[in-house]
Amino acid sequence: MKENWWKIIGIGLMLFSLIFGMLTPLKPGLPSVFPFNGKAGNQLTLSIQGYNTHFDEVKDQRVWLKLGDYTLGASKLEATSSNLLKATFNTPDILPSKDSVVVFTLISDNEIDGASVMPSAIFVKQANIDSLGAAQIWPQNSVDNLHQRAGITFPYRNVLGETIRNLYYHVSLWFAMFLILAVSVFYSIRYLHKENMVDDHRADAMVSVGVVFGLLGCATGSIWAKHTWGTWWTTDVKLNMTAIFMLIYLAYFVLRGSFQDEIKRARLASVYNIFAFASIIPLLFVIPRLVDSLHPGNGGNPGFGGEDLDNTMRMAFYPAIIGMTLIGLWMADLRFRLSVLADKLLDRM
Amino acid sequence: MKISKIIITIFSLQCLFLNNIAAQSSNPDFMQSIGKIYVVVAVIATVFIGIMIYLFSLQKKIKQLEDQIKD
Repeated sequence: MKENWWKIIGIGLMLFSLIFGMLTPLKPGLPSVFPFNGKAGNQLTLSIQGYNTHFDEVKDQRVWLKLGDYTLGASKLEATSSNLLKATFNTPDILPSKDSVVVFTLISDNEIDGASVMPSAIFVKQANIDSLGAAQIWPQNSVDNLHQRAGITFPYRNVLGETIRNLYYHVSLWFAMFLILAVSVFYSIRYLHKENMVDDHRADAMVSVGVVFGLLGCATGSIWAKHTWGTWWTTDVKLNMTAIFMLIYLAYFVLRGSFQDEIKRARLASVYNIFAFASIIPLLFVIPRLVDSLHPGNGGNPGFGGEDLDNTMRMAFYPAIIGMTLIGLWMADLRFRLSVLADKLLDRM
Repeated sequence: MKISKIIITIFSLQCLFLNNIAAQSSNPDFMQSIGKIYVVVAVIATVFIGIMIYLFSLQKKIKQLEDQIKD
């Protein structure tokens, strides 16, 4: 029992992130609006689709079209169901912009759901461009007295929806893989330093678990991509760099398998492991940041950050990373003990 | 031999299970429903099955070692 404490911690953290990560509701959001275009000067009637919203229960529902500092409140609101709202706007003939087609942001606020934003919600076309004249007609009242939804929620993002929870089950796998591979490099270096066969076995077991996690990360990402992008695999930078790096690590096992002599195998595998790990840093951390990619959290940064990863998500994300790493180390420990036993048995026979 | 059979059984059971839910819901875009929550379920199932496959391969190695000890 005494030596199992870290395994129990790993299981506990994993269970916590599973329960907390699946049971916490998403913040109300606005997935779609119809129609998504209109003409200035006309009356615009928008059907606003909500997610996790309570349009038919609230008393103080407000909706705005927003363009920079200019906002236009809805003149009439009618809730057909908890997730469907009809909003009517009387748009002036001229819009406060020099473009003929103007993109508006939609903001909704009520006392139960709090404020939700749908960026680039509706395209409005204007026949006459007079941005200075429009600046005088358009109300410049700021959107204020916004409500906050009560209770713990995860952020709502269009496209992602509920799959924002994959942060705890897909991203944590990659983090755990990186940490486990880092520990395996430590043992590889220690083998080269002390020439103790046990260290090589440890490094080997950890690389095998790291590769399993990497393959699972690819598989889970692929499932998500199929239902979000429509294909199992795209030629996205991030995905391709991952494929290259998986191949580098698979070659580690080919290298190990191609030596009969134990010491030669251990030495070469240790050196290869160090270089393979060095290749992760440009492949997974540098190149995806240089190029744009479809992967969530992108636009210069392949990971989640800023507004996407809020503190409630961190509460499930960090335990998931630690839990997954500990479970991976446990798997590697079992494999390591097995290969040490096999070694001893072969020596005796 | 045995292990591969077990793995295939787990996979086919899972597929049957998911197909059943999909058929019952009578929704063509089952995976897209409720904010794509079933994608998250599929991801968790995949991770679980992956770890199980690793454990089965470990068991296979232990079995080989046991057989060597017997001989």
